[in-house]
Amino acid sequence: MSAADIALDVTSARRSRAKRLRPVRMLRLARHAAGALWSQKAKAFLMMIGTAVGIMLLTAVVGLSAGVQNRINQITAFFGPRSIMVFAGGGHLHGAGGRAEAGTTLKLQDAQAIQNQYGYEAVVAPGIFSGDTNVKAGGVGTQTHLVCSTPDYAEAFDWYVQEGAPIDSDDERSMARVAVLGTTVATNVFGAEDPIGKHIFINNVPFVVKGLLTSKGTSAMGFDQDDRIWIPLSTGMNRVLHQDYIRFIRMKVRPDYKVASVVDQITQLIRQRHRIVPPEQDDFRIITPDFIAQRVQSMARTTELVGGALALVALLVGGVVLMNILLLSLSERVPEIGLKRALGARQRDILVEFLSESVLVSLFGMILGVLLGLLPVLLIPRLFPMMPMAVSWKTFAYAALFSTGVGLLFGVQPARRAAKLNPVEALR
Amino acid sequence: MIELSKIGKTYLTGGVETPVLHAIDFTVEEGEFVALMGPSGTGKSTLMNILGLLDRPTGGTYRLAGQDLTTLDDNGLSAIRNKRIGFVFQLFHLLPRVSVLQNVLLPFLYTEPYPPDAKERARALLQSVGLGERMNFKPNALSGGQQQRVAIARALVNEPSIILADEPTGNLDSVASGEILEIFDRIHREGRTIVMVTHEPDVAAHAQRVITLKDGAVASDERRN
Ligand SMILES: Nc1ncnc2c1ncn2[C@@H]1O[C@H](COP(=O)(O)OP(=O)(O)O)[C@@H](O)[C@H]1O
Ligand SMILES: [Mg+2]
Repeated sequence: MSAADIALDVTSARRSRAKRLRPVRMLRLARHAAGALWSQKAKAFLMMIGTAVGIMLLTAVVGLSAGVQNRINQITAFFGPRSIMVFAGGGHLHGAGGRAEAGTTLKLQDAQAIQNQYGYEAVVAPGIFSGDTNVKAGGVGTQTHLVCSTPDYAEAFDWYVQEGAPIDSDDERSMARVAVLGTTVATNVFGAEDPIGKHIFINNVPFVVKGLLTSKGTSAMGFDQDDRIWIPLSTGMNRVLHQDYIRFIRMKVRPDYKVASVVDQITQLIRQRHRIVPPEQDDFRIITPDFIAQRVQSMARTTELVGGALALVALLVGGVVLMNILLLSLSERVPEIGLKRALGARQRDILVEFLSESVLVSLFGMILGVLLGLLPVLLIPRLFPMMPMAVSWKTFAYAALFSTGVGLLFGVQPARRAAKLNPVEALR
Repeated sequence: MIELSKIGKTYLTGGVETPVLHAIDFTVEEGEFVALMGPSGTGKSTLMNILGLLDRPTGGTYRLAGQDLTTLDDNGLSAIRNKRIGFVFQLFHLLPRVSVLQNVLLPFLYTEPYPPDAKERARALLQSVGLGERMNFKPNALSGGQQQRVAIARALVNEPSIILADEPTGNLDSVASGEILEIFDRIHREGRTIVMVTHEPDVAAHAQRVITLKDGAVASDERRN
């Protein structure tokens, strides 16, 4: 009876020579490995620190990247993805604080030349922004932003009136003293009253309110976009500000045309008109969403690179520490390995068991690291709203990938050494 | 059951050949209880390791139930060890970090398919060696004799055909030894094949057959009834 059974077992063992491990068996071995770790919590903790620190840094860096991407998306949406701004004045925009010097060389004729040549490709709205302008109506006074621009302003900025009428070409031609109010100014000056048809003084020049803009709320950069007044550009230049130059040309490129090529063409055109020959500096700046995205990205890049490098170093150091602790503890566990081989463990079973230990340790390190790394990601934006930080699925994907990688990479040598032990010598 | 013919074992260490076993020939029938005796260093453990498929002979053939095992690969040998051979060691070799019950279940880590009644079998065996009340203890909380009984339960849990015990009472006092030998007598009566290494004649007296090795060869082979 027994002999027949053995014969069967031997033939099946000879036939199958099965090297592959079934998933249930691997799961069983992994559970056993988890028990081994649990019984040595202090050592397991030491083994996971490196991974935890690495993953913590990684989580923070990925959080920063995700935040930067969010910020870029916000700014692009705010700026208008197909928009171009030509600003008067040369020099470079440095960081958030730097300001290029104001220029007086950008003229209405430049805008008209652009309009004549690229009118098909883009909507063109020249204008002047003037901050801190005094407005007054019926004894109530306040300060607001004055926008002097042509009727195309509405389409160029996707900003239309909710009540009354926008500035039209008759207003522009006749230098009409008419104004369209943002909702904040309207409430500040007229309270709950309907402002349409009312008189308002802008820098002591009397105007009639003809429209009310839709509300756009607070911008991604944190200022109130509804705190503004829009008047015709001709009126602004000749009756309010008394200047013969403009400060910006806003363009919105039509869907069939490429923003980048329009930028190139108008750069050439303005240089020609202003007789600028590189390497002479331009007396204007052209800003696009891509340009802003690059700026924001380049500000974050250094932090990302340094943080990423530190994370990598921590993961490598952690991996080496993990490997060495595993190798050291191997000598204590030689009899255990011998016993398991005697009980029927194949080399591959031992390998899987030890690899499970190192991967499990790394995964626990990952959990610890993600939790620690999410702290700054969640806290920093509350303390410093300008710091972009966001939680993203990438955080978890990278953390899982890298910690498993560390566990496998640095666990393989100790595990192979354990598997290759001679069972007879291991049992002695 | 076990057929050894011209089994030889020569160790090679640092280019020096150390012959340990020379042409061992004997057969063990199913259900036999064999004691293996002989002076220290004569090759008993070496022979047990070969019988237990932990080591390969350098010469001769080993047949188990008529099957030549010398051609099996490591995976095959492991599978046969797991299902067909139960080991009892002089030093017990229990895993200190897991409970007595988990120790007995250890062989099932490597058994395919995993038996659905594994726990019941382990509990019943612990009951039968008088440790029903200690199943959740850690091995260190048990006496030497009790630990060896756990090891016997572990050796039996996969219902092997052969029990190999290398000086199972070598580390025990006479009372504990007596208890262990009683268990061996019982599993022998239940029909299992046992090969046990011992130095002590009164331990060997429990076996029906005593094979004595000397200088790596069979010096005598006596049966009694
Ligand atoms: N790995 C090995 N390399 C070399 N010699 C060994 C090795 N293992 C055992 N021996 C030698 O083989 C002989 C028999 O050892 P062993 O089988 O343990 O004897 P016993 O169990 O009968 O006391 C001893 O002389 C021992 O030194
Ligand atoms: Mg020995």
